Amino acid sequence: MPVRLILLLSHALFALGVYGILTRRHAIGLLLSVELILNAAALNFVLFSRVFSHVEAQAFALFIIALAACEAVVGLAIVIGLARRAQTVFADQVDLLKG
Amino acid sequence: MTPALLWIPLLPLAAFALLITCGRRLPPPAAGWVTVAALAGSAGATLALAEPVFHGHRLAVRWAWLSAGDPRWALGLSVDGLSWLMLAVVTGVGTMIACYSTGYMHGDPRESRFFAYLALFCASMLGLVLADHFLLLYVCWELVGLCSYLLISFWFEKPAAAAAGRKAFITTRIGDAGLLAGVLWLAFAGGSLRFDALAGLQDTLPGGLLTAISLLIFLGAVGKSAQVPLHVWLPDAMEGPTPVSALIHAATMVAAGVYLVARTLPLFTPESLQVVLAVGILTHLAAGTVALTMTDIKRVLAYSTISQLGLMMAALGLGAAALAMFHLATHACFKALLFLGAGSVIHATHEQELGRLGALRRTMPWTAAVVLIAAVSMSGVFPLSGFWSKDAILLAAQHGGPPWLLGALLVGAAMTTAYVFRLYLRCFHGAPAPQAGGAARHPHESPLVMVLPMAVLAVGAAAVGLAGAPWLGHPLLHLLGVTEPHEGIDVSILLWSTGAAAVGLWLAWAVGVRRARPLPAALRPLGTRLYTLAANKYYVDAWYQRLVIGPCLAAARGLARFDLRVIDRAVDGTGLAGRAVAIWKERFDRLVVDRLVNGTASAVRLGGAGLRLVQTGIVHQYLLVVIAAVVFVSVVLR
Repeated sequence: MPVRLILLLSHALFALGVYGILTRRHAIGLLLSVELILNAAALNFVLFSRVFSHVEAQAFALFIIALAACEAVVGLAIVIGLARRAQTVFADQVDLLKG
Repeated sequence: MTPALLWIPLLPLAAFALLITCGRRLPPPAAGWVTVAALAGSAGATLALAEPVFHGHRLAVRWAWLSAGDPRWALGLSVDGLSWLMLAVVTGVGTMIACYSTGYMHGDPRESRFFAYLALFCASMLGLVLADHFLLLYVCWELVGLCSYLLISFWFEKPAAAAAGRKAFITTRIGDAGLLAGVLWLAFAGGSLRFDALAGLQDTLPGGLLTAISLLIFLGAVGKSAQVPLHVWLPDAMEGPTPVSALIHAATMVAAGVYLVARTLPLFTPESLQVVLAVGILTHLAAGTVALTMTDIKRVLAYSTISQLGLMMAALGLGAAALAMFHLATHACFKALLFLGAGSVIHATHEQELGRLGALRRTMPWTAAVVLIAAVSMSGVFPLSGFWSKDAILLAAQHGGPPWLLGALLVGAAMTTAYVFRLYLRCFHGAPAPQAGGAARHPHESPLVMVLPMAVLAVGAAAVGLAGAPWLGHPLLHLLGVTEPHEGIDVSILLWSTGAAAVGLWLAWAVGVRRARPLPAALRPLGTRLYTLAANKYYVDAWYQRLVIGPCLAAARGLARFDLRVIDRAVDGTGLAGRAVAIWKERFDRLVVDRLVNGTASAVRLGGAGLRLVQTGIVHQYLLVVIAAVVFVSVVLR
């Protein structure tokens, strides 16, 4: 598999995630987009560990998977709290952080 | 014996503490009986001490007071013959007068307060007598002065009573200052202030110093015992309730001066004894003449007291302390009795002007009888109390004094009889008083609680003198330390004094009652002038007003004006200057400091309002900014 293709794939994934974050209104959609960005990063780590024969970098991919799981847990908890408190799951309808 | 010694002053003190704290909650008669019981207990304790004291023992209890420095200050109570006699007088007369007061003060709104003061007075008087040290004596000396002030102005609603209390306090204060100065001087010069150490001082201290110290101490006695020239407070003190006049201003407190001089007699040099004698005899005669002219019964008795105290001082001036104390004891009985009789008259008629009294013998037989006994005793008629004490002094004057002294004392004795019988005859004999204001008054005999103490004191006034009589072997004079009293009765002195009393009686009847004019016509203008002089109390009060009080008041007024014109203006000016400065500072604060502070706050608020616009709370916008920034940093600034 050529390196260039895989890099293209990971960039595509990242761009897809950023696009999703900027355009999605649903909170779960936002979480999914974050997962895409994290996985793009994980893919890069794995790719470059193969290219430069640094097996330690794959450990970071594992870290990212664990981190993504934690992030999903916390994020879903926030979504549930938001749904209970503000009766909505749409991010643009919530302005608790407004100064 | 020591417990009995302590009980003597502590019982009245406990009565005072009880009455001053919860006297108002006791039913009115109880307050009086608490005091009577306390004083009777003290009298019992005094009697219990009699046996050892008469055997010549000296009882004492001492305790350390201050252990600072050397010598250690120890205070104590002690009883010897001299102080035992005073104890007997104070507790005996005090008990009778407290009992009398339960009747006299009945129904007064501040009855319990009266008895509280009375108990405090007795406690401090007993402390004064028992003190074996100048300091304790001085403390009690001031306490009795305070009680005297409180009791004279007891009816302080009357302006005259309030003024009289003030006058008594301030006048005796002059004497007290002398006493304090004398005590301090003695402390610096001699060291020990204990009375039993005084006897040795004649040998160790120079005579001039002793004369000065003893005269200062005598000044204290002059103030307290109302001797010339500090006698002016005692007649005014008659504004107080009559039992107070009897107890404090006749029998006990005013005699404290005599007691003080008798106690400190070892300090007195021959020169200072001359002064004591001169002051005593001058007081005796001057006050006697004034007493002849007074028309208020209590004022007659007040001047009579001054005069008799002068007689005691004269005896002290002769060095005869025992005789002075003997006369003090008999005088306490008959003078207290005279005051109680006067109080009984006032209680019955609400009248104390001789001109508006008369013929009370029929309605008040008991009072008339006891006053007669007291008057006869005071006149020195054989064999009542007054005879023994007065004749002993006359005898001492004949043997130990200058030749004119006996004559002066005989004139004084004649005056004594004259004023006391003038009082008795005009009160109890003669025509009934003209009815003032038309309202019929019904004088009545006083109740039993008042008559009974008078009867007891009448027995005392008649018989106490026998304790110093040769028939019984002079037990009282032995008690006071006289080793060789005069044997038998000196008949010539007896005849002289009886003659003087007879002349006085004739004068009282002829001039005081019948208003005869015994002087030949040529001498009458002189007599009238002398009478006017005496009736105006030798203008002493007027001279004091002009020479002392007037200048003092003028000085005070001048100082007040200085205060008002100078000090007040200085203070006001400082205030105004401060105010002007404050106004300027306020303006600076408002225009400069406030604007600086407010400007800072406004700037911050404006900045905050601008920045708030950025923080919309919409997550997408934040993310957009983040990504744009990342893109900007990674692409443009690469």
